[in-house]
Amino acid sequence: MTGRTKFVFAGLLIAAAVTYLIVSSTGSTAHYFLTIEELRAMGDDAYGRNITVSGAVLGDTIAYDSSSPRVTFTVVQVPGDPEEVERGGGLAAVLHAAVNDLGAPRLEVVYNDVKPDLLQHEAQAIIRGQLGEDGRFYADEVLLKCPTRYEEDVPGQSGGA
Amino acid sequence: MLAEVGTIVVGLALAVALYAACAAFWGIRRADSCWALSARNGVHTTTGLLGLALLALLVAFLGDQFQIQYVAQHSSIALPLYLKVSSVWAGQEGSLLLWSFLQALFTSLVVARPSDRTRSLVPWATVFLCLVTAFFTAVTLFLSSPFFQLGMMPPDGQGLNPLLRHPGMIFHPPALYLGYVGLSVPFAFALAALVTRQVRGWPGAVRRWTLAAWLFLGLGLLLGARWAYDVLGWGGYWGWDPVENAGLLPWFTVTALLHSAVMQERRGGFRVWNLLLAVFSFTLVLFGTFTTRSGLIQSVHAFARSNLGPYFLTAIVLTLAGSLALVYSRRSILVNSRPVEGLFSRDGMFFLALILFLTLTVSVLIGSVLPTITEALTGQRYEAGPDWFDRVTGPQFAALVLVIGVCPLLGSTASAMRRLRSRGLPGLLGAALLTAGAALAGFTQWVSLVGFAIIGLAGATTLAEYVRDVAARSRGPAGENPLRALWSLFGRNRRKYGGYLVHTGVILMALGIVGTRMYALETELVLSSGKPVPVADYTLVFEELGGEPADDHLSTWASLAVYRNGDYLTRLEPRMDQYVGFDQTVALPALHSSLREDLYLVLAGWSENGAIATFKVFVNPLASFLWFGGLVFLVGGAVAVWPSAREERVPAPQARRRMLGTNVGLVVGLLVVVAAGVAMWGWGAGFGIEARSAGRPLTGQPAPDFTLDLLDGSTLALADLRGQVVVINFWATWCPPCEDEMPDLQVSWSEYQAEGVVFVGIAFDDEEAAVQKMISRFGLTYPMALDVGGNISAAYGITGVPETFVVDAQGNVAHVHIGPVSVQELRDELESLLEE
Repeated sequence: MTGRTKFVFAGLLIAAAVTYLIVSSTGSTAHYFLTIEELRAMGDDAYGRNITVSGAVLGDTIAYDSSSPRVTFTVVQVPGDPEEVERGGGLAAVLHAAVNDLGAPRLEVVYNDVKPDLLQHEAQAIIRGQLGEDGRFYADEVLLKCPTRYEEDVPGQSGGA
Repeated sequence: MLAEVGTIVVGLALAVALYAACAAFWGIRRADSCWALSARNGVHTTTGLLGLALLALLVAFLGDQFQIQYVAQHSSIALPLYLKVSSVWAGQEGSLLLWSFLQALFTSLVVARPSDRTRSLVPWATVFLCLVTAFFTAVTLFLSSPFFQLGMMPPDGQGLNPLLRHPGMIFHPPALYLGYVGLSVPFAFALAALVTRQVRGWPGAVRRWTLAAWLFLGLGLLLGARWAYDVLGWGGYWGWDPVENAGLLPWFTVTALLHSAVMQERRGGFRVWNLLLAVFSFTLVLFGTFTTRSGLIQSVHAFARSNLGPYFLTAIVLTLAGSLALVYSRRSILVNSRPVEGLFSRDGMFFLALILFLTLTVSVLIGSVLPTITEALTGQRYEAGPDWFDRVTGPQFAALVLVIGVCPLLGSTASAMRRLRSRGLPGLLGAALLTAGAALAGFTQWVSLVGFAIIGLAGATTLAEYVRDVAARSRGPAGENPLRALWSLFGRNRRKYGGYLVHTGVILMALGIVGTRMYALETELVLSSGKPVPVADYTLVFEELGGEPADDHLSTWASLAVYRNGDYLTRLEPRMDQYVGFDQTVALPALHSSLREDLYLVLAGWSENGAIATFKVFVNPLASFLWFGGLVFLVGGAVAVWPSAREERVPAPQARRRMLGTNVGLVVGLLVVVAAGVAMWGWGAGFGIEARSAGRPLTGQPAPDFTLDLLDGSTLALADLRGQVVVINFWATWCPPCEDEMPDLQVSWSEYQAEGVVFVGIAFDDEEAAVQKMISRFGLTYPMALDVGGNISAAYGITGVPETFVVDAQGNVAHVHIGPVSVQELRDELESLLEE
């Protein structure tokens, strides 16, 4: 083997190893990324799988027991497709519409942890965890985004509220 | 007024930047130095104008000009001065203006002082750099202007997002932007080299620019990590969030570029690598900006989806397609005919490092857009969490550290194996020692032990390199003492030894990463005041809650006494700030760092009466190594950037002037780095930590002995009271809660005096006359004394009054009450103690 082929061989070997790592990790640790609608559509298939689901937080449903600690709250379906969010007038508008839509699918979330700083009405929650047999979603991790805090260009937000 | 000035100035800057690009191009076509000079003046004018715009925005912030929307959204009257300054870049519009200014500033610096090696490339580089400046200025002007006016003047602004109110936020964004902007320099020179067909020397010529960009990017990433650790309160420092990844990706490719540039300088090879890495680094900067602002990636702290996406996408496609086409058209001069060394040589290790940086880049890139990719491939969106990234990148990082460790063992030729045998011993020793040490210290997962072995190997071989070179110098004709020899090594070859120092920093950081990623402990605790609870090697005693209203928020803190293995260690005060206007709470953690681990406490909630509080507790092993390694890493980078006299081969007077300019610039840069370091690390270390001489004895520990002269003239020694239960009450006449509990104590005393229980009141920092008055007012009959000199209070570690200690018949502390105690509480405790 000449020097150059050795190099190519070594490079390919590393690339193959990394490809294996990526594929195997995707199988074992990656989460299904779903909207609440899609989660409901999965039916019994969803139990026990690692799932990431996103939704709009309903402020009235947030209940916090600081002695456990445990937070429960309900999230409402928001579309997962960025295009669709854009058509709905941006994230803030979509979240606002979602929490006022009584017909939209909802999901009760149980999070055995301290109440996150940003958990509040109309925040977008990205929740990693598993769906329990009782139909509630048991969260391992809750990420929150408040468009009113981070998005600068939401004209009328302060006036309309 | 300011807004109009700002807008006009930015508009002018855009026009001048475009003019400068055209003038530079025309100067090249006509080979006319007048046009080149005009281009140069144009570049400086652009910098001046954008600087003026930035100043206008700063003045608007300092003057509370809330009719400007951006100011109204990111500032408020109550905001402290330093935060008003940092608010300038707290949002997208201001950051883009800062970015444009820094881009123009770097272009100015590049054209102002061309070295002999860059001179022939500067004209074309000017064209490309001016186009980049024009792009960012245009985006600022047309799509995301910080000078947009509301048409009315709100009485106050919305204030700065509480999470961004941290000294680190002054330095973190500008450092990152300096890194991003700096990457445009190697990119522009790579293109210039391709256009002018001078592909041989450019990586060396812009080496210091590349290094500076890399250093600032590294600083920005480290400060960001430290900010997350200090402020976000999740016990971690790196969450693989797309915004973090956006900074990490170009850092990978520019690190690779630094290494492959060395190969091109030394051996003439790796030409295509260098060009592509420069192009990729810059493209990844654009890509990061695009993904975090386009909504392509769901991120927690990404900027909101904005209208910039399509423009950045166009810029990315144009940059990539144009650059790759240019590389392809010049392929004939890019071929390297030199023979390559074997894989087991330094060349081979450089090559492996390049491959690993590339696979890391691709891995993180794939992870960042995994939902999009998997949806296209399988129709099902998969999302990559931190586990995914740790699993995929961990082995690659380990392989990189291994390469760092093996590289010094190998020679520059294929005769490497012989050298390996003579130099391998320290490496093997280091690997064995660290692995054994780690295993003994309780780090026993086998994956981590492999990691420790690799880190030990790399640490030992890097150290051996210093030792060997220092020994050679002190044994040589100069016969220098070892310290002096080390100093002159760094003076003579800053590049090499700066590089080794950077590797040392990486090795130390690797140690911290293995510890924190694999052995971190996380738990939630509900603590009642005065009741000790064990966590790992620690015992935590929640004492009390305190609160204080500030301008726009209410601070609540909990004070906890921390004991390690039964010995008092420190007192920590995690805090929670509730912002009224933002309807948001920010939990500020408190931490105690030691070499072995960090104890990290977050206040999560409390009961109405403040007697019970909930905490998140993290124990992060080896975390200090991460931050210390980061500091070593930055110092190494600074050493490598620092020019040595040898490198500047210019006539003496000019050289002196140039060296002066360079040194002033570097000193300023270094000061910024140091100030940033102090702001971050100093601040972190100071968070809520208050060193006291001693803590309270824990329940179960012996009560500190004392002998008291009682007010009735007799003496009382605790040691004489073995076999009896003793209630020791610290109080003061100037303390209202003490007055509240006095009747309760008197009632308990009369109830239990007959059962042999001894009560003693110890007045803290008090006068005998005042104490006597209080005794007669409440009709107190139990023994009372003054704590003259405060020695007993100190021995019991009290932090306030009243505090009550119940000591059992064996002389050990059975119960501690911080704050007033009630008859019922004492009754419960004394009954159970008397039964024993």
